Amino acid sequence: MSIRRETAGGEPTLEGALAERGLVVRVEPRAGLAVLIADEATVARLGDTELRRTALALAREHGFTHVAIELRTR
Amino acid sequence: MHANDDAQAAENEVLLIQWLRGAARVAIGYSGGVDSAYLAVVARNTLGMHHVLAVIGRSASYPAAQWAAARQVAESFGILVAELDTDELNDPKYAANPSNRCYFCKSELWSRLVPFASRFGFQTVVDGTNADDLGDHRPGAQAAHEQGIRSPLADCGFTKSQIRHRSRLLGIPTWSQPSSPCLSSRLPYGTRVTTERLALIEETERAIRRLGIVDDLRVRYHDDLARVELSCDELAHWLVPERFARLRDVVVAAGFPRMALDLRGFRSGSLNVLHGVGAA
Repeated sequence: MSIRRETAGGEPTLEGALAERGLVVRVEPRAGLAVLIADEATVARLGDTELRRTALALAREHGFTHVAIELRTR
Repeated sequence: MHANDDAQAAENEVLLIQWLRGAARVAIGYSGGVDSAYLAVVARNTLGMHHVLAVIGRSASYPAAQWAAARQVAESFGILVAELDTDELNDPKYAANPSNRCYFCKSELWSRLVPFASRFGFQTVVDGTNADDLGDHRPGAQAAHEQGIRSPLADCGFTKSQIRHRSRLLGIPTWSQPSSPCLSSRLPYGTRVTTERLALIEETERAIRRLGIVDDLRVRYHDDLARVELSCDELAHWLVPERFARLRDVVVAAGFPRMALDLRGFRSGSLNVLHGVGAA
């Protein structure tokens, strides 16, 4: 089952692409910056260099030059 | 540093000494960063105390910590220092923060520094531009060129790593210091530069430093959000939930409502990339 979300124009979103890799985040786009709002478990997972590289590559594919992660407040 | 590069750095220093002897007296645009500190020390050692004047341009965009470090280096090496207040924030062209913002800042600095130095008999004014800088997006270099500022480190072929190496040999503490551009570089182009925003950025970086971070660090201003760039080693350390929360709390206490940690880590000229000015 695909969990990729689609935009109104049919383009795959960064949020969906990250979710397919198990990174469940909310993406807040700010021009070239994607702010990934995530829970503690996802923050911890991004401590892994390879996974971080994957997230950065996906963001680049989706047109973002910068990616930053914010810890979701309870 | 590779042995060949080591030898090249030593040769460059010989060239620099010759260059300085040719000038006889120099006033240096001095920030206390790696480049200008090295230049000031070599000039002082070559020409003597009374033939070298290090001039600091002070404004809200110049971090107080850097000022203190600059004064300390000068005092340790017997370098005469003068300070000039600059007023770039009151220039609407600067405050609007266009991609050539540095041009207006440096125009302000050099237009004050050159006549000041001349009054004290310093006809040659130099800056710390090095050979690595020449390929970057540096509109400030145009202002320097217009005011006749010379760049002996670049003229002698010094790269940044060579300057660090020679600084270490000379016992200059800045040899391992991270680069520290002005605070306005933390604001995306087009975001107005104000004294309040610069103070917020400076205080936030200071608060983060108190957590023990000594490597490269930038707090990038995105309105309500601080995007924090750390070195790759530090980044992995802080991507642990409890530490991350501590970092966020420190940033929020400093005055930003939100904090996000950049996943790529520190990169010089990061906001140039965000706005398509430099290479990604």
